[in-house]
Amino acid sequence: MKRVGVFVCHCGTNIGAVVDCPQVAEKAMDFPGVVYSVDYKYMCSEPGQEMIKKAVQEHRLDRVVVASCSPRMHERTFQRCVEGAGLNSYFVEMANIREHCSWVHAGEPEKATEKAMDLVKMAVAKVVKNKPLQKATIPVTDRALVIGGGIAGIQAALDIANAGHVVDIVEKEPSIGGKMAQIDKTFPTLDCSACILTPKMVEAASHPNINLLTYSEVEKVEGFVGNFDVTIKKKARSVNMDVCTGCGLCMEKCPKKVDSEFELKMSKRRAIYTPFPQAIPNKPVIDRENCTYFNTGKCGICSKVCPAGAVDYTQEDEYLTRRYGAIVVAIGFELFDYSVIGEYGYGKYPDVITGLHFERLVNASGPTLGKIKRPSDHKEPKNVVFIKCVGSRDPAKGKSYCSKACCMYTAKHATLVREKIKDSNIYIFYMDVRTPGKGYDEFYNRTREQYGANYIRGRVSKIYQQGERLIVRGEDTLLGRPVEIEADLVVLATAMVAQPGAGQLAQKLGIGYDKDHFYTEAHPKLAPVETHTQGVYLAGACQGPKDIPESVAQASAAAAKVCGLLSKREMLTEPIVSEVNESICAGCGMCVAICPYKAIELKTISERIQGQTVERQVASVNGGLCQGCGACTVACRSAALNLKHFTDQQILAEVNALCL
Amino acid sequence: MSVNEVTWQPKILVFACNWCTYAGADLTGLSRLQYPATVRILRVPCSGRINPQFVLKAFQKGVDAVLVAGCHPGDCHYTTGNYFTRRRFLIMRRLMEYVGLEPERLQARWISAAEAPKFQQVITEISEQIRALGPNRKLRDEEWKI
Amino acid sequence: MEDLTLVLRRTAKEILEKGEAQMVIGWEKGAFWYSSTSAFISKPEDTERLIWDEYCVNNLAKYLLDYRHKEGKVAVFVKGCDSRALNVLLQDKQLKREKILIIGLACPGMKDEVEARKLGRGSSIPLYKKCRECRYPNALNYDFFIGEDKVIKEIPAQDDFSEVQALESLSPDEKYNKFVANYERCLRCYACRNICPACNCRECIFDRTASGWSSKANNVSENMFFALTRALHVAGRCVGCGECERACPVNIPIMLLNKKIIQDINALFGEYEAGTDVTAKLPLGGFEFTDPEEFM
Repeated sequence: MKRVGVFVCHCGTNIGAVVDCPQVAEKAMDFPGVVYSVDYKYMCSEPGQEMIKKAVQEHRLDRVVVASCSPRMHERTFQRCVEGAGLNSYFVEMANIREHCSWVHAGEPEKATEKAMDLVKMAVAKVVKNKPLQKATIPVTDRALVIGGGIAGIQAALDIANAGHVVDIVEKEPSIGGKMAQIDKTFPTLDCSACILTPKMVEAASHPNINLLTYSEVEKVEGFVGNFDVTIKKKARSVNMDVCTGCGLCMEKCPKKVDSEFELKMSKRRAIYTPFPQAIPNKPVIDRENCTYFNTGKCGICSKVCPAGAVDYTQEDEYLTRRYGAIVVAIGFELFDYSVIGEYGYGKYPDVITGLHFERLVNASGPTLGKIKRPSDHKEPKNVVFIKCVGSRDPAKGKSYCSKACCMYTAKHATLVREKIKDSNIYIFYMDVRTPGKGYDEFYNRTREQYGANYIRGRVSKIYQQGERLIVRGEDTLLGRPVEIEADLVVLATAMVAQPGAGQLAQKLGIGYDKDHFYTEAHPKLAPVETHTQGVYLAGACQGPKDIPESVAQASAAAAKVCGLLSKREMLTEPIVSEVNESICAGCGMCVAICPYKAIELKTISERIQGQTVERQVASVNGGLCQGCGACTVACRSAALNLKHFTDQQILAEVNALCL
Repeated sequence: MSVNEVTWQPKILVFACNWCTYAGADLTGLSRLQYPATVRILRVPCSGRINPQFVLKAFQKGVDAVLVAGCHPGDCHYTTGNYFTRRRFLIMRRLMEYVGLEPERLQARWISAAEAPKFQQVITEISEQIRALGPNRKLRDEEWKI
Repeated sequence: MEDLTLVLRRTAKEILEKGEAQMVIGWEKGAFWYSSTSAFISKPEDTERLIWDEYCVNNLAKYLLDYRHKEGKVAVFVKGCDSRALNVLLQDKQLKREKILIIGLACPGMKDEVEARKLGRGSSIPLYKKCRECRYPNALNYDFFIGEDKVIKEIPAQDDFSEVQALESLSPDEKYNKFVANYERCLRCYACRNICPACNCRECIFDRTASGWSSKANNVSENMFFALTRALHVAGRCVGCGECERACPVNIPIMLLNKKIIQDINALFGEYEAGTDVTAKLPLGGFEFTDPEEFM
């Protein structure tokens, strides 16, 4: 028989003025298991807590019920108190006779007192069934993995590395830098993107705590928070990184020219290449698909000209497995390929381009060396039409969301055109103008007022070629009349979409993604950088469309979470987790499907059944991943799963106590 | 527990998730919003922990009504727990009505940590409904005949 | 069907002779002309006992659980309902597909044993109600099929929920009185559970008082708790084979609860026919963000 002590708190007059506390304490002595009961003015005060500790000693109590305020207020206080008295901290239960009783039944003292007794009775019935629970510790590996080497990944890695932890950045392209490297200028300050990005890239590359794994991909993720075992595929570069000096001679001499991905096919690169001149690492890779040597076995010029002898055609993909304590996912976004839709003549007329093409066209190191020339005939455009929300906010195109950055970059593009081509005319078709950032609305207003961009509220219905020009037909819905513009260049603000491989990576990591394949945060308000998988955090546009400042802010937030985790050698895990009774579990796997944390898996056990050893499957809970929601327990028909501290038996005891 | 018609007061059991409804009930207290002393709140981590069988047991043992309450969809502390609750109790409520339980006696509500007035209003409403219906005898261990 | 009996025997014999399975589960003639019972044949010469007639109502799928740890394969004959039951057992990971050899049959509907006893030999015996209502008479999932996989029975356009709807239209007290009247006579013999392919737990909570759920007390309240709990446990799993009702010694219309839940799952979460798709997710094992909102 358990020995329960009940401590009824008056909370000054907060409880005492309504509930007859001495009577509740007296009544408590009738409840099964209660051997001691007392009321006191302030149970949470120092003398109140001392009183509990003393009573535990004197009356050999092994369970404690405190009838006072909400457990959300003082559960920790009393857990520490009973711990101080030598009991397991989970041997205390609270009856909430303040928030749920005296404060809400102030005019009915008798009924409130009766209710207080019921609540104490329920708590007593539960506490006698409480089991001692211990927080377990799991070791934490002091190394972080950042997946994606764009601005978000770089920022997260730098923050983590500066806090003294080792970080690996995995980037699938030959260079870090991501989308920001392709952008010309940044809004609303119009400073040059490369000027602010490249120093960060250099810093990341030279940081003693950062390892760059470019031209690499995450292959497999196993384990859990503190101990992820990640297998990374390092694609064969065909260039020995240790030997290559990055002199670039091979790229000069390579006879094979291919469309440059970085320049969006508006210029050529070689088959042995770095994506852009400031690439980091600034050492080339061989694009084996296009390399003459790999296709025909002849050529080999790069190998012949390399003064360092770094070209190695025999290199193979390498796999390495490393253990990480935490993972930041920062794989960024892609632009919606609007040629799939075919609208606005995109993909058909060379002078209908996307915003990212425009960034390259206006960039001093781009294919036109910064002179805005239209792709078809390299003439300087005079009339430039911008169309916003191309794909975005359009459920018919499968994208119901706002891509967020387009309003601002379109305004930026407009100012850049006007600065570079003084006699140009700008027409911007928009649905709404959204400028909710610091200095954003001012920038937009300058674009209209100072730079004279014509904003036309309405959609474009059709674009067709007439002579050298594109005829853009649309509607001005504010004036209620059709508009027709003879354009030289049309720029589409196409939607940001998730990276094509986002879903697959999510499955490897066990994190969630939404219908658009953007990653799901653990809580939209209160855990915006966490995922449901403990130890995996999100940064940047892979979680949803974002501009640069937002991506950087989120990256630093994710880094802070990682540092918090890695700063400890061991982490404590909550003991309130589900547990499996293997002898009863039938291995149906219903719980596996239900668990939002992927904390349950089926494992094979062998046991003797009818005189023979057989193998069968049972559920197995990973205490490091389980968050203790208990959803699995309800799915388990045979009640083989139970949630510690909130077991079926404990809840049923409370129900019974209330009624009996 | 046998029913005494004269002294009978409704006994309503509320299963409340720790993060939203329990906190909402706390806020109701902090805001001193008054409601009838007919309810007893049982705290569970998530509404997803509420086994429909608990509800059956509660009726067997003599409660007059059960309220199942948790976070609004999308607000679950554990993200998806309440979506399971919704499926389970959509079925459960229909089943209970089917075997003759008055629909007022098993209700479900989403009550957030900020919705103190809603908590007050829901409890007041259910209390009035149950007072009008009288004590529940259906499914009870004793006096199960109506 | 007599012709098929021969095919069925031959098939079983071949399977055993070739060692394709260690045992064949089928039907043999029972004590009366109107009863056929399950048969467990492991010797080729015993296959002569096997029959296929209009009284082979026993759902054989659940027997497979008894032999799941045996070495080698077990062959089983399945009608439509057995086939759906087998699929549910596969969905619940209680069987390994590679350990079972499934021989499909086209079921013409089985004759009602109780009526047969009443009406006598030679008279026209009606089909079981569940068979008249059956929409999947043929095996759905099999290794090979005996006869032609062609529906040989009239198929109703949709499930019949008229009895459920009739009950729904009553007042709460009327509904309750009917419920009590049905479960007042429950003996809690658990025959319904034992025969049910959807009841496939390793240990049932009603056999384990330590679970806190069940009480040994045999009173109506506990009977109702058992009935409702079992209905919830088989929700989304019940294939409508009606074996529970057939096994019930006191004739409780158990399917009234199961059908109610089938009807509601269809209405609330979209059409779901248990056991027709092994890869389907159980309706109560998931959710949709767009599920109906009644919590408010």
